[in-house]
Amino acid sequence: MLETRQLSKHFKGLVAINNVDFNVGQKELVGVIGPNGAGKTTFFNLVTGFLKPTSGKILFEGRDITGKPPHAIAGLGIVRTFQLDRIYHDFTVLANVEIASHLQARIGFIESIFKTRPYRKKEQSARENAMQILQFLGFQDKKDELARNLSHGHQKLLGIAVALAAKPKLLLLDEPLAGMNVQEVGHTLELIRQIRAEGTGVLLIEHNMRAVMSTCDRLLVLNFGTEIARGTCEEIQRNKDVIQAYLGAKRNAA
Amino acid sequence: MKISRIIAYVVLLAFIFSLPTIVRGNGYYIHVLILCVVNVILASSLRAITTTGQISLGHAGFMSVGAYTCAILVMKLGVSAYAGMILGGLVAALLAIIIAFPVTRVKTLYLAMLTLFLGVFISLGLTEFRSVTGGTSGIIGIPALNKISILGINIDFATRAANFYFISIVMLIVLVFLYSLDQSYVGKTFKAIAQDEALASSTGINVTKYKVAIFCIGCFIAGVAGGFDAHYLTVITPDSFGIFPSIYIIIYVIVGGPNRFAGAIIGAVVLTIVPEAFRAFKEYQPLFFVAVLYLVVFLLPGGLVTIPQYLRFSLRNIFKGRAAHAGD
Repeated sequence: MLETRQLSKHFKGLVAINNVDFNVGQKELVGVIGPNGAGKTTFFNLVTGFLKPTSGKILFEGRDITGKPPHAIAGLGIVRTFQLDRIYHDFTVLANVEIASHLQARIGFIESIFKTRPYRKKEQSARENAMQILQFLGFQDKKDELARNLSHGHQKLLGIAVALAAKPKLLLLDEPLAGMNVQEVGHTLELIRQIRAEGTGVLLIEHNMRAVMSTCDRLLVLNFGTEIARGTCEEIQRNKDVIQAYLGAKRNAA
Repeated sequence: MKISRIIAYVVLLAFIFSLPTIVRGNGYYIHVLILCVVNVILASSLRAITTTGQISLGHAGFMSVGAYTCAILVMKLGVSAYAGMILGGLVAALLAIIIAFPVTRVKTLYLAMLTLFLGVFISLGLTEFRSVTGGTSGIIGIPALNKISILGINIDFATRAANFYFISIVMLIVLVFLYSLDQSYVGKTFKAIAQDEALASSTGINVTKYKVAIFCIGCFIAGVAGGFDAHYLTVITPDSFGIFPSIYIIIYVIVGGPNRFAGAIIGAVVLTIVPEAFRAFKEYQPLFFVAVLYLVVFLLPGGLVTIPQYLRFSLRNIFKGRAAHAGD
């Protein structure tokens, strides 16, 4: 479904992503791991159009999406979450998800001024879409709370709800478990599995290895912007390069 | 809509339209009322732009584009005053589209600098193109609005009261339009963009499109207001739309309260009437504006519009304090 060809990103002299060839299939749950600064988030930024690649191509469902703006890429079905709790802090939980239903609602300027019948229908459907997602996440009792008053874990979940409201075909989750307690981690992982089960591809950046190993079908390991390994979780766990990247090599090794 | 609301609107309308009678047709008072109405239009249109997180320090510049376009079209090409006002607004909006793309790409201080420069640039342009704009002396002798006859009643715009009625109707149309937009899904999208552009674009919102659109709408309204000003004042000069008017419009919005629709209206009305009441100290007007701005920012960060809320809150605290004492 998603394919990158020789994808590279240089920041001045720094090579953030170096010739990454990668693909994600339909309904696959793929983990992207690597030490801090390995270029995982940069990879997400490239795929979702927040950064333009220095060279290489990105294809989605066979279409070249290299260099398209983020909103257009979201329109095609790739939606991401952010590492920081990026939500609309001054909105209620419901309003957060409603606004993210924008792609479904397609409400124009003129109709919203005159509040025409189609407008009210679309607004209604945006609300229903939002309510459905909140129910899916077990959030419906918090719908009228201001997003800024939510706990950290709930804010992270709301971030996922916002992304889901855009009805993604491929969902990119950037450290969704960071800062969550054990219970919340379990709940969120269950949700991620469910999202995949409902037919959405998921690409997951996460440092919680236990979580990654228990949910992902496949892994991509990056270090210094370069792919150092890929394969199933078992393969990665035994891979010498990966262990070396995470733990460092012994000085007298080899 | 609730009946009580409809009644409230009708009473408000009746009040607005009876204002010239209430001030007994006093020309000076009606002039101040017209200033109020024009400032309400300007402040509300700027406030609409700020809901997307943008700020324009050159709003009066767009007003002047509308005023000059309208004056030139009416005087040199014989266009009707009303068509002139609309065309003035359109030219302001066109200019807005041209410069909107760089404007919507920059934020905070850079955006402030860019729009400030734009305002200065427009003002300089009006001074330099003497053959068209009359240079520093501006354009003199712009005719009053054309007579209209509705259902056999002739309305002659020779009187100030007629001008007041006309611009009040324009204001009501503008306010209803902006309010519906503000309260709609699109209005909510504006506020989402103001809070987090990256998040908005990640869910498929074309942030640039929305920002350009509201910037143009705001500038169109300012242009129309400028066209009216040209006809009403009959004289326009580059000075009347310099940096200070632009900054005053921002102060109306901030002092009134940018987070609420009524804020810009209240700010514009209060800050138009109060300085007029102290007309003897006209030279100190900028000082007055700065003082009010400081006081509001520190004491009432939500603007004048939050005064009722603030009072209710402090009253409740006083009563609670008493109750606590009684319990000792």
